[in-house]
Amino acid sequence: AAAAPGKKITARLKRTLPVRGPQAPTLSELMRWYCLNTNTHGCRRIVVSRGRLRRLLWILLTLSAVGLILWQCAELLMNYYSASVSVTVQFQKLPFPAVTICNINPYKYSAMKEYLSELDKETKKALETFYGFSEGKSKVRRSVDDWNSTGSDFFQQIPLLKVEDFSRTATDLRSGQKRRVEGSVFHKDSSIVNGDSNDIIGFQLCDANNSSECALYTFSSGVNAIQEWYKLHYMNIMAQIPLETKEKLSYSADDLILTCFFDGLSCDKRHFTRFHHPLHGNCYTFNSGENGTILSTSTGGSEYGLHVVLYIDEADYNPFLVTSTGAKIIVHDQNEYPFIEDIGTEIETAAATSIGMHFTRSRKLSKPYSDCTETGADIPVDNLYNKSYSLQICLHSCFQKAMVESCGCAQYAQPLPAGAEYCNYKKNPNWMYCYYRLHEKFVKEQLGCQQICKDACSFKEWALTTSIAQWPSTVSEDWMLRVLSWDKGQKLNKKLNKTDLANLMVFYKDLNERFISENPANTLVILLSNFGGQLGLWMSCSVVCVIEIVEVFLIDSLSIVLRRQWQRAKKWWSHRQRGGAQAGHPQGQGHANPACLDEDLPTFTTALRLPLPQDSPLPRTPPPNYSTLRLESAFSEQLPDTLELGH
Amino acid sequence: MKLRKYLVRALHRLQKGPGYTYKELLVWYCDNTNTHGPKRIIKEGPKKKLIWFFLTLLFASLVFWQWGILINTYLSYNVTSSLSIGFKTMKFPAVTVCNANPFKYSEVKPLLKELDRLIEAALERILQPGNSSDNVSPPLDLELWNQIPLVLIDEHDKDNPIILDIFESNQTAAARGGPMGRGLCHGRAQLPAVCPQCSQPGSESCTYRNFSSAAQAVTEWYILQSTSILSKVPLHDRIRMGYQAEDMILACLYGAEPCNYKNFTQIYHPDHGNCYIFNWGMDEEALNSSNPGAEFGLKLILDISQQDYIPYLSSAAGARLMLHQQKSFPFLKDQGIYAMAGTETSIGVLVDELERMGYPYSDCTVNGSDVPVQNLYSQYNTSYSIQACLRSCFQNHMVEICGCGHYMFPLPEGVNYCNNEDFPGWAYCYSSLRSSIKQRQICIDSCKETCNDTQYKMTISMADWPSEASEDWIFHILSYERDMSTNVTLDRNGIIKLNIYFQEYNYRTISESAATTIVWLLSSLGGQFGFWMGGSVLCLIEFGEIIIDSLWITIINVISWAKGLQQRRARARYPDAPPTVSELVEAHTNLGFQPEPGPAGPALPPEPGTPPPNYDSLRVQPLDTLSPDSDTD
Repeated sequence: AAAAPGKKITARLKRTLPVRGPQAPTLSELMRWYCLNTNTHGCRRIVVSRGRLRRLLWILLTLSAVGLILWQCAELLMNYYSASVSVTVQFQKLPFPAVTICNINPYKYSAMKEYLSELDKETKKALETFYGFSEGKSKVRRSVDDWNSTGSDFFQQIPLLKVEDFSRTATDLRSGQKRRVEGSVFHKDSSIVNGDSNDIIGFQLCDANNSSECALYTFSSGVNAIQEWYKLHYMNIMAQIPLETKEKLSYSADDLILTCFFDGLSCDKRHFTRFHHPLHGNCYTFNSGENGTILSTSTGGSEYGLHVVLYIDEADYNPFLVTSTGAKIIVHDQNEYPFIEDIGTEIETAAATSIGMHFTRSRKLSKPYSDCTETGADIPVDNLYNKSYSLQICLHSCFQKAMVESCGCAQYAQPLPAGAEYCNYKKNPNWMYCYYRLHEKFVKEQLGCQQICKDACSFKEWALTTSIAQWPSTVSEDWMLRVLSWDKGQKLNKKLNKTDLANLMVFYKDLNERFISENPANTLVILLSNFGGQLGLWMSCSVVCVIEIVEVFLIDSLSIVLRRQWQRAKKWWSHRQRGGAQAGHPQGQGHANPACLDEDLPTFTTALRLPLPQDSPLPRTPPPNYSTLRLESAFSEQLPDTLELGH
Repeated sequence: MKLRKYLVRALHRLQKGPGYTYKELLVWYCDNTNTHGPKRIIKEGPKKKLIWFFLTLLFASLVFWQWGILINTYLSYNVTSSLSIGFKTMKFPAVTVCNANPFKYSEVKPLLKELDRLIEAALERILQPGNSSDNVSPPLDLELWNQIPLVLIDEHDKDNPIILDIFESNQTAAARGGPMGRGLCHGRAQLPAVCPQCSQPGSESCTYRNFSSAAQAVTEWYILQSTSILSKVPLHDRIRMGYQAEDMILACLYGAEPCNYKNFTQIYHPDHGNCYIFNWGMDEEALNSSNPGAEFGLKLILDISQQDYIPYLSSAAGARLMLHQQKSFPFLKDQGIYAMAGTETSIGVLVDELERMGYPYSDCTVNGSDVPVQNLYSQYNTSYSIQACLRSCFQNHMVEICGCGHYMFPLPEGVNYCNNEDFPGWAYCYSSLRSSIKQRQICIDSCKETCNDTQYKMTISMADWPSEASEDWIFHILSYERDMSTNVTLDRNGIIKLNIYFQEYNYRTISESAATTIVWLLSSLGGQFGFWMGGSVLCLIEFGEIIIDSLWITIINVISWAKGLQQRRARARYPDAPPTVSELVEAHTNLGFQPEPGPAGPALPPEPGTPPPNYDSLRVQPLDTLSPDSDTD
């Protein structure tokens, strides 16, 4: 009883929706039927045209139209992931950027004396032996005298050398004895050093485990050699000093910032956040956003920006480490790490530096439009800096990672990865050689850092226009210095000199924010309309045609082929059974065969092949040549069919 | 009568649509439409019919959905930008040069004498509080002082700061000033210098503007006082006190052409006194530059005579210069740069232009006429700019609230500049207005940026000039040319050389164009319709036709139904009533159902090839068959 209704339904389905193959019995019939009935334009002309040449022409035209469509659509697909750029200008209240200010000299020389005295002595001695320079005879005499008593073995390991390029011998600073230089020679300054009789100063770095592995670094100028050599030893010393001590050795906010003025209002050291930079000592960031508020400007112009007077204590500079005087500033976003050693702007003393800013924000589209990263989370390098991702951060972190892996300790200028510590002679006697080798590899892109690290997709840029005026002017110098000395207060017991001061103004030139953004040039909707346009232009085709093509060329042709094979097999079988006695009477082929017709309306071609009724003497109108003028009878016959859908 | 006849005939024509039932109409439509889907619905077997029916529905809905997206995209008025970089002959920018110091000190000394003595004495008191030398030969004029005094605030005791007037020995507690405003919040524990401002002298509402540095306090105080004094001086006197063109511009060369101070237009700038604009384009055509490089640019030698600076007013010394567009006002505080004395400053210029489309693509203004702020800078005949708008907005507010105009901005008609005598509370009013965030926001909201934004990107480099070897003869010649005397009146502290020229690439233009035009919209709509259904506008019209036809069928049905109802009623009353008028009409309307009598009539045997089509559009009969149509009425 349960199966009965099911069977009934299937029976009814079979009756109402009978499974039937394609109407055309042969492939050529099918093609002809398709060409006449399809919605695309070229095909019909092939069938309808009379004359071989014309038919050939139409075949060629149709095929080339198909080819064009395919080509153009492929172009459209390939150009799908392209971006268009739009630039918008928004006039609005702008967030003021963070401004990080450092003294060029990292630590007070007077405070550093106890750490650096040996290194300085060594440097002075080198200056005297190689260049005959001394700052006053008696002093140097003394230092030479007590050389032996205080000599440290660190400097012994990497002494300055005077190299005679041709003989490849070097004169040691300490012993004065000549020794043969092993290993490769690196010219730090230029690859071509003319082989004059000029002696070249450099230093040699050796692998501690394998003393034959040595690299000699030479410089074309003694100034560079001495500075590089000094820096090398300086980093060693600084790596051993804990951070708290270093912060104390450097400048305090009160030391650096004399007056401060922002947006027409007075500000003071509380608006600055300390930030310890390994190479620049204590830097101070204005508007760092650390307390949660970011200052903004609603008026452009120099009166409404940041205006500070900096105190640069020139007398307390380290003579070997830094050779220029002034301050370094960098304008950056609150989330950005200030790479002050790389992209800082230098500020002159005894001058007013006016920096006009123009704000530009850019945004790129990430994958698949371009190879940039939104947050840096997809890059296999840990961000060692506590700031948002940038290419610079990635490169530095990548190098530091490689350094810890291959040298076993971290480079001083970059932050420490977890569980690592800074390199120094005591613990890692080998680190310098390792570092120089690694750095060279890094520069030559052999470490793969440049490949791993990608651009950030969005970035903010403050374009700076810097100009300098004399400050204080000759007539105002007197009172200005007096009042500023008073401001500085009791801590300073000497009168200020104008070369100790720098005046800095940072302001928005205009409050126009330029926003450059990439937008997808194509969306799916536009791609489809372009497809539609192409299909329509060349062939008046649509998705329906595509479905038709699939239907006719794949499903129908396949079933026709199969049907014919089946019929042949059946015929062969029956032929064999009957012993080939009877030859099948010739069957009407294709639509000419009325047996092939189902209740669907006959197409025009099939109608043409229908046998004419015997009793019709004269056709009243000649048969029209196209199918839109279909037989009138179709109307009444069709109605029940279309109604079936409603049942 | 004729009209009625015409109407009836028209109705009858309309009625002769394809078919007289909805079904016929639909089948006819499907068979004859140019859209691709419907044709297939009626062509093949029932299963395919079903599939095609749903496919057609799906495609139709897809088309409408995508059309919605496209129209939305169009209405969002996106723009695309194109960038072009290169060199072309361009108008040389207008160059404004000013001295950082507005007036010659030798000229304004009589006016500022009292003020200077006051500040010197005040500085003396601040710096050496112990040995205050009270024996100043002429007694100080304390009237100026009492309007806006400088005070020191001792903040050792946070809750109870002590205010110390520099010229009064008595220390007063904070309570005297009444509500202290926003002052006193920060400052060092030492003695910060504060300059209080009261809305009325001696009144309760006072604000102490405090500074963390005495240098700032003194400068601000001096600026307030001198502003008040100078605002009373008439404009032509102020121009006379400033630097004259012939004193300031010593040499000028544009390309190979010599020029001199007469080629400069004088303009009085409140911040910087007399400014001189080269190539402003107000009276004569703007100069073109068709070559890159310093050889073809503007070369200037200026003298800023630093010895004649007002000592307390501006502490930075140099020339202030700015490159701007022709016929625009130079806002030196915003866009200006400094040039240092004793140096040669070379400025390579790249013109960075942004050409934007106006409304509705972006919210910008072409000439400022649609901005609801009265542009006060139009008195200089200059074009609209956002800076002009913001300043005018501020000045208008100032006039509204304080009753007088600020000295730094142009005046609206019938208003005077603020000064201490006539408007005693102006400084208080001004500083509260200046620091009001709300006022700034109002101005930002009401001003619009211009659609064509031009910036001059400058590459600035400097060198010492003149060199030590050439110093002597250069100073000698320049002094001689200026004063016709052999005395050297110039020195390193005053002389500036400027080179302004176009770079190798002198323009970078970003221009906007509409990303979606109406042509784009139409072709995209067509593309979508064509892609899914092979349709066009004509298909839409076809569809509309079908809807009209079906409406007509509905009308006919309703009429016939109503008639049937009436007839039935009538029949119920008089079973054999004569045919009514409506019945006759119905007979007409039903005419269509009867096979039309052709010219040959039913005498011909039905021909299986082509029986006569049933509707007008497919008529193959000779033209005269139409005549019975018109006869039917």
